[in-house]
Amino acid sequence: MDFHFSNEDKKTLKEVRSFIKAETTPELIAETHKLGHIYGGKEGRRFIRKFASNGWLTPNWPEEYGGLGRSAVLNAAIREEMAYASVPVVFVAAHMAGPVIMHFGSDEMKKEWLLQIARGEIEFSLGYTEPQAGSDLSALDIRAVLKGDRFIVSGQKSFNTASHVADYHWLAALTDPDAKRYHGMSLMIADLKSPGIDIRPMTTMAGWQTNEVFYNDVEVPGKNLVGEINHGFFYLMSALDYERMYPLAAYEKVFDMIVKYAKETITGGQPVSKNPIVRQKLAQIKIQLEANRLLYYRLAHMVDHGQIPNYQASMQKLFATETAQLITNTGMEILGPYSQMKEGSKHAVLSGQMENYYRTSVVETIYAGTSEIQRNIIALRGLKLPSK
Amino acid sequence: MNYDFTSEQNILKESAHKLLAKECTGQHVREMAEDEQGFSLELWEQMAELGWMSLLIPEKYEGSGVNFFDLSIFLSEMGYHCLPGPFFSTVVSGGLALLEAGSDAQKGKILPDISNGRCKISLAWMEEEGRYSPEGIKLGARKKNGHFILSGKKLFVPDAHVSDIIICAARTSDDLKSITLFLAETKAKGIRIQLLDTMAGDKQCEVLFDHVEIPEENILGELDRGWPILKKVLLKSAVAKCAEMSGGAEKVMDLVIPYVKGRKQFGRPIGAFQSVQHQCANMLTYIETMKYLMYQAAWRIDKGFSFEKEASICKAWASDSYRKLVALGHQVIGGVGFMEEYDLQLYFKRAKAAEQLFGDADFHREWVARGMF
Ligand SMILES: Cc1cc2nc3c(=O)[nH]c(=O)nc-3n(C[C@H](O)[C@H](O)[C@H](O)COP(=O)(O)OP(=O)(O)OC[C@H]3O[C@@H](n4cnc5c(N)ncnc54)[C@H](O)[C@@H]3O)c2cc1C
Repeated sequence: MDFHFSNEDKKTLKEVRSFIKAETTPELIAETHKLGHIYGGKEGRRFIRKFASNGWLTPNWPEEYGGLGRSAVLNAAIREEMAYASVPVVFVAAHMAGPVIMHFGSDEMKKEWLLQIARGEIEFSLGYTEPQAGSDLSALDIRAVLKGDRFIVSGQKSFNTASHVADYHWLAALTDPDAKRYHGMSLMIADLKSPGIDIRPMTTMAGWQTNEVFYNDVEVPGKNLVGEINHGFFYLMSALDYERMYPLAAYEKVFDMIVKYAKETITGGQPVSKNPIVRQKLAQIKIQLEANRLLYYRLAHMVDHGQIPNYQASMQKLFATETAQLITNTGMEILGPYSQMKEGSKHAVLSGQMENYYRTSVVETIYAGTSEIQRNIIALRGLKLPSK
Repeated sequence: MNYDFTSEQNILKESAHKLLAKECTGQHVREMAEDEQGFSLELWEQMAELGWMSLLIPEKYEGSGVNFFDLSIFLSEMGYHCLPGPFFSTVVSGGLALLEAGSDAQKGKILPDISNGRCKISLAWMEEEGRYSPEGIKLGARKKNGHFILSGKKLFVPDAHVSDIIICAARTSDDLKSITLFLAETKAKGIRIQLLDTMAGDKQCEVLFDHVEIPEENILGELDRGWPILKKVLLKSAVAKCAEMSGGAEKVMDLVIPYVKGRKQFGRPIGAFQSVQHQCANMLTYIETMKYLMYQAAWRIDKGFSFEKEASICKAWASDSYRKLVALGHQVIGGVGFMEEYDLQLYFKRAKAAEQLFGDADFHREWVARGMF
């Protein structure tokens, strides 16, 4: 075993860090915050296109597709740097769809899409969930009917974050409604500007937006089908295993802010950090952050060794998101009533970020597969427990 | 980064597993808990012959070269099988203390004997206050005619009753931090050892020092400078203990998971009930996080990197997680797991014992906090 980054990776990470430091503007941070850390806003695109020109968005892709031919470990580490810096960190095209195209797409499809994705020129939004199909994606209802060289798509998606700022939709649709569960679904790429698509905002309790997406006889070119028809569910599952590789550093930064606050804030004549209960709580988080780090890089290790992370991805997503909620709740406890003050409010501390992250963290254990679904996967795939 | 064992390490693990599966059965563990010596000399000698005791010892002292990581693999297997006896106190705590602070003469004399299985050691630091701090050490050592006279009482000393040497932490001045480590021969005049009856049947002793005379050359390390040595040894021992614990946790999984797959209620395997599945998923998460934290800390020790933070992180997490994992195991197995004849109870007891050794979770969280604040 070896738990260090290689010297080459360390060098790249140093460059990444100084790039981020030099190129991050207050406008970028504000936009990223407003969008909920997704990619697609104006400032984000400006920043990321420059960032990605170094190959850093997809460092583990082959050079011909805009990568650097480097390791998944480096990719994972760069994503942590981005998350920590509060620049866009959720990339549907580069980190969820891209790997699926790489594994299962035709050569033409790879040529058409991967380079643009690697350069950050385009972003996708994730089009899985529908009102009646949340955890159970086999209940999809949106239809895609093949007519000549195109699909005609009709139906409704919900909770499709980033659809209002992205360029394309990574769409899961039924292509054979009569097939057995899981066997009638296909993945395709739809242009979000296509006639017949209607995107309506859904505002979250964290303030940022996700969307409903309505399809009304929308044409999608047949060549935009990913892999084989009716194999979508299988591709989607492996895409989810990438999606669940969850960089926790945005919350690690919140943790660091809380630690700093505890050091610098005096109550009862001494720093908050002298309080033994506070010390225990913050140390516990530090410990969980370390455990999470090891689960996270295990996924990268697996990818580098030719495996697709499976229950291991569920475990990391589960562990990371529960830790995220521990961090935000602990922060609320330590800051006390000050934690509730919103950004800009009189008496706000830490720029009012605490209450904001506290709200946002609610959804971490819900999207990309709820904690219950992750535990199901760990039990069924990791421990091979019987399903009935 | 690499999360895999080398093929040699896989072979080590398998060979240790094979021997212990044969020699260290649940039956054996129960017998040894009742036995006064508490271990099988035959198995001890076999392990020595196979070189298990030599893993931390440099070649010039007849060891196989210092390899903390490989040792952790062996310790995991020992934890898996609940190996009773003085291996840990001798090879890990004792060996580490000598390696850390021993003079050439002391190392030349003792290390080859550890390596060959001829010498057993115990480390005695805890006293009535039951604390891990220099202030808790009251047993005094007074200098007289080139000797030190040790008087006081040590508690919870592992395997002292079968040890040849006790490494005793004593107070050598009024300054609270002035602790000195002494190598005491167990048969020295004035040492009285009494076995304590413990939950897990592991052998902990009260060791009374009644005006025990120890020559100056038996100081381990420097006069008054024993605490930093002890602290380092305790931290490394904590990581080694985590290796044992993660092995124990592995065995608990091997007991529980097949059981919930096979046991049927309401017409289906209990492992098909989601509330059981989720407990099992939590168990798997505990064990995998424990293991990686432990391997990371062992790897850092092995490579000579700083390891203090990682050691405390790992012991804090393992202390809580192993206990919780066993508790979940008990819950999903139901009544049969509560039976003496079912091996799960062995792990329940040892999980608590291990949790309290070398600092529990609260203790190590405080040490982690010291690194932060
Ligand atoms: C802010 C936000 C952004 C999102 N972004 C996207 C996006 O970009 N693209 C996209 O496609 N989707 C997105 N989602 C959808 C998200 O993935 C789903 O909300 C999630 O998978 C859960 O589905 P659901 O909300 O319908 O809850 P349900 O599936 O109805 O679940 C409700 C409860 O039942 C439990 N439950 C369900 N099934 C099981 C089971 N088999 N075993 C045990 N418990 C079960 C769940 O764990 C949960 O506690 C987003 C959601 C939110 C809230």
